[in-house]
Amino acid sequence: MHVRGTDADAGSLAERVRAGDRRALARAITAVENETGAARDVRAALAPYLGRARRVGVTGPPGAGKSTLVNALVKELLARGQRVAVVAVDPSSPFTGGAVLGDRIRMAETQADERVFIRSLAARGHLGGLTRSAGAVLDVLDAAGFDTVIVETVGAGQSEVEVAGVADPCVVICPPGLGDDVQAMKAGILEIADLFVVNKADLPGADRTERELHAMLALRGRGPKPPVLRTVATSGEGVAALAEAIEKRQAQGARVMSKQAPGELAAPTLPGKPACSRIKLRGKA
Amino acid sequence: MAEHPPKVIVTKLGFDGHDRGSRVVAAHLRDAGMEVVYTPPWQDIPTVVKLATEEDADVIGISSLATDHLLLPKLMAALRAAGMADVQVVVGGIVPPRDEKLLLEAGVARVFHPGAALEEIAHEVRALAAKARALRETAAP
Amino acid sequence: MNKPAAPFQSDELARAETRWREAFEESPGADTRIVNRSGIEVKPLYTPRDAPRADSIEALGYPGEYPYTRGIYASMHRGRSWTQRQLIGLGVPEDYNARLKEILAHGATAISLIPCNSVYRGYDADEVPEELLGTCGVVINSVEDMDRALEGVPLERLSCGMNDPSPFTLLALLLAVARRRGLAWTGLAGTSNQSDCLSHFVANHMFFRLALPGARRVLADHIAYCNERLPSWNPLSVVGQHMQQAGATPAEAMAFTLCSAIQYAEDCIARGMAADAFLPRFTFFFDISISFFEELAKFRAGRRIWARLARERLGAKDPRSWRFKFHAQTSGVDLTRQQPLNNVARVTAQAIAGIFGGLQSLHTDSYDEVFSTPTAEAARIAIATQNILREEAHLTDVIDPLGGSYYVEALTDEMESRIDGLIARIDAAGGMYRAVENGLVQRMIGESAHAFQQKVERGEQTVVGVNAYRIEENLDGYRVLEYPDRARIEAQIARLKRFKAERFAAAAHGGLDALARAAQSKDENVFARVVEAAEAGATHGEICACLRRELGFGQPLTIV
Repeated sequence: MHVRGTDADAGSLAERVRAGDRRALARAITAVENETGAARDVRAALAPYLGRARRVGVTGPPGAGKSTLVNALVKELLARGQRVAVVAVDPSSPFTGGAVLGDRIRMAETQADERVFIRSLAARGHLGGLTRSAGAVLDVLDAAGFDTVIVETVGAGQSEVEVAGVADPCVVICPPGLGDDVQAMKAGILEIADLFVVNKADLPGADRTERELHAMLALRGRGPKPPVLRTVATSGEGVAALAEAIEKRQAQGARVMSKQAPGELAAPTLPGKPACSRIKLRGKA
Repeated sequence: MAEHPPKVIVTKLGFDGHDRGSRVVAAHLRDAGMEVVYTPPWQDIPTVVKLATEEDADVIGISSLATDHLLLPKLMAALRAAGMADVQVVVGGIVPPRDEKLLLEAGVARVFHPGAALEEIAHEVRALAAKARALRETAAP
Repeated sequence: MNKPAAPFQSDELARAETRWREAFEESPGADTRIVNRSGIEVKPLYTPRDAPRADSIEALGYPGEYPYTRGIYASMHRGRSWTQRQLIGLGVPEDYNARLKEILAHGATAISLIPCNSVYRGYDADEVPEELLGTCGVVINSVEDMDRALEGVPLERLSCGMNDPSPFTLLALLLAVARRRGLAWTGLAGTSNQSDCLSHFVANHMFFRLALPGARRVLADHIAYCNERLPSWNPLSVVGQHMQQAGATPAEAMAFTLCSAIQYAEDCIARGMAADAFLPRFTFFFDISISFFEELAKFRAGRRIWARLARERLGAKDPRSWRFKFHAQTSGVDLTRQQPLNNVARVTAQAIAGIFGGLQSLHTDSYDEVFSTPTAEAARIAIATQNILREEAHLTDVIDPLGGSYYVEALTDEMESRIDGLIARIDAAGGMYRAVENGLVQRMIGESAHAFQQKVERGEQTVVGVNAYRIEENLDGYRVLEYPDRARIEAQIARLKRFKAERFAAAAHGGLDALARAAQSKDENVFARVVEAAEAGATHGEICACLRRELGFGQPLTIV
């Protein structure tokens, strides 16, 4: 359904989002992304519909094959009868404010499917790996009725951990050949993982990376450790297991809720689950 | 509040796979402060409409080398049918003079030929993004 | 003729050089630094001191002898002119046939068939938007189409370049036609012009049909098949042209091409083929930009490096393996839409550089390619250009006429050094396959493209009619080739449907099933099954669809 309308009528916009109008959904995301006047009202109108979608975070260093893996994961979820939304975050140029948003390139296979919605967002100078409004954007997609919303972002540094504040599980993808560089991945990003995935597992170095991850996790002492999975995103190997692990995690109960931007309405909690967060995020841009 | 950056899609329809021009333009638009969604070649019309919808694009830039521009009238019709006539479309590449008229008549906002200065392209795209937004503001519900 | 005993050693000459330098430094423009596209600084004057190896047999030698810097054959164009191999492709088979005959009558000496873009992408005419059919190449889907396209053309006498990527269906259709005509396959000469899958993955993605691992495998099968069954056919043309058109500098294009050739050679060796069994039929295909001296130095350096690589790195012992055979095409991206007739001058300059560079085969662009597929008039001018250069300007009279020029030898040495450095960089990245999978090559090409564009935008590189010498012009006066008539296209599609209806369906489908099984197996020769399927009546689109299913379509990596 494609219905034209202005943003002025936020209630009607929210209705059209709920009715499956994809253009309205995109416009609602734009409003929320840009924190316009309409955004508050749209969010309020959509608030009662939150809490249904699984929110999966996918992060990792450049070269890990995140977008290819997200594409494979989307395929798997579609096969399981889900409707899936993907939010792909890329950094903006600190000098010009512009950005090339290229994550869709690896999603050619799934992007044409009617059950899939992909939106690229530029970080616009926001540190932490996401955009200021990422949590709110996920809320909109949740309320729009998607079964799973995946947020994908680059994460290699200590401060790019924000994704853990908006999604659970947070999947951290490691490319093989990381070796000693598992340490170089920086404490923060390794700590936020609910699931580790060694992608490109067919390449040499995958075994070693897996071992390094297990070794690092063993150092954390007792308590449950996040699983370490292996995938070959280009062939789909291991992706079903990843989807299973995400399902399992969902069944165990979510860890955190959406993060709100300053001045906005407090984001509602997932029904029935206490608001809590496992890590304290230091500061915001 | 400052206007958010123009949102531009750079893509290719049809068969051609040459992407030197589209990559150079995409990089330049980024350097000019725009947010550019870059896709690989061989997109079909329904996919381009879908991605323009999802990305809430202001401008779609089609790079065309090998007569793929002949698909533009159908793209313009598809955008109109989807209620997206406000989205501005530009074409860059090899377009013979007689076809340029065809494209403009079909609703393409501008055709850029080889040798077009990147600055000029950025300037025009920015102006067209503003036009798209203005059209959206004033569109009847 | 007296030759100086040693380059410029005498005091008198040293003093003369000092005098020259002083005079030069007084002149305007003396402090301008000039750097060519490959990043090499070009001096105002070259002397024998700049070309210390000009006398050496190891670096220069004689034509026809290792390292072949002066030419791969002893007689080069003096003995036999370069092949005039113009790319032709348009409309339906009859349109192609008419244009081909016309250009052959005007001096072309070989065939280079360009299929329609739909064919490049692996589809038959009944699967794609009609408006895109036949606009940039000829629609050929079946053995009947190929037969019609080459009606009255002596395949036993003319070498045929097929611009057709893996799985080389057009060659398969050509073989089927040859069989129909009672021609021995062993006598068919030509080249699989778009067999270099790496170049398609990196640049000019239009030709990229199968995922890289599958394309690699089919290429190795193809080389093995041709070695055995088609002794006069070159199964491999390693292409630098796509990368240079995408923005690679001349040195980069040569380096990346040689690195690809090394990978393909290693693939063949890994399959148990001896280097001398396949290297003699490795050929190359390059762009000729308008950076005149740089191009001819690129080709001379390429010959020298390839000879060394083939002999020392790949262990080839047969001199035929060391010979760097190449076709070249004048660069399309150098042409301008502004003042299009200027392109005739550009193509002429580019052609001369290639001829002096010692190419074996040449395609000259038509001036109106900036609009569309060439008109007949423009195509005639393009071939006439070659005739004029050979017969009026006598460019074939002397072998390697610029050999010994201090500048040319110095630049050849410099280009060799640049190219070697780039090859080392790719080697350090694990070879061309790895470098391409990681996007290293694409990034380098993208940076070069960006840098060149910046030079043009800043006016540092003049492009006549674009950033200098501009005029107000109305381009409506130029005749542009009409797109194929709708009725003709519809008739072509109808013919395809009839072909499919009238063929022996069981045989065609049996051929496709056998092809699928071959693709699934590890040891069968996929290309052999492609040929059999084509002979059994399978169409181009059906063969490609079968292999897409089995081997994957693939998506080239895009880096912005």
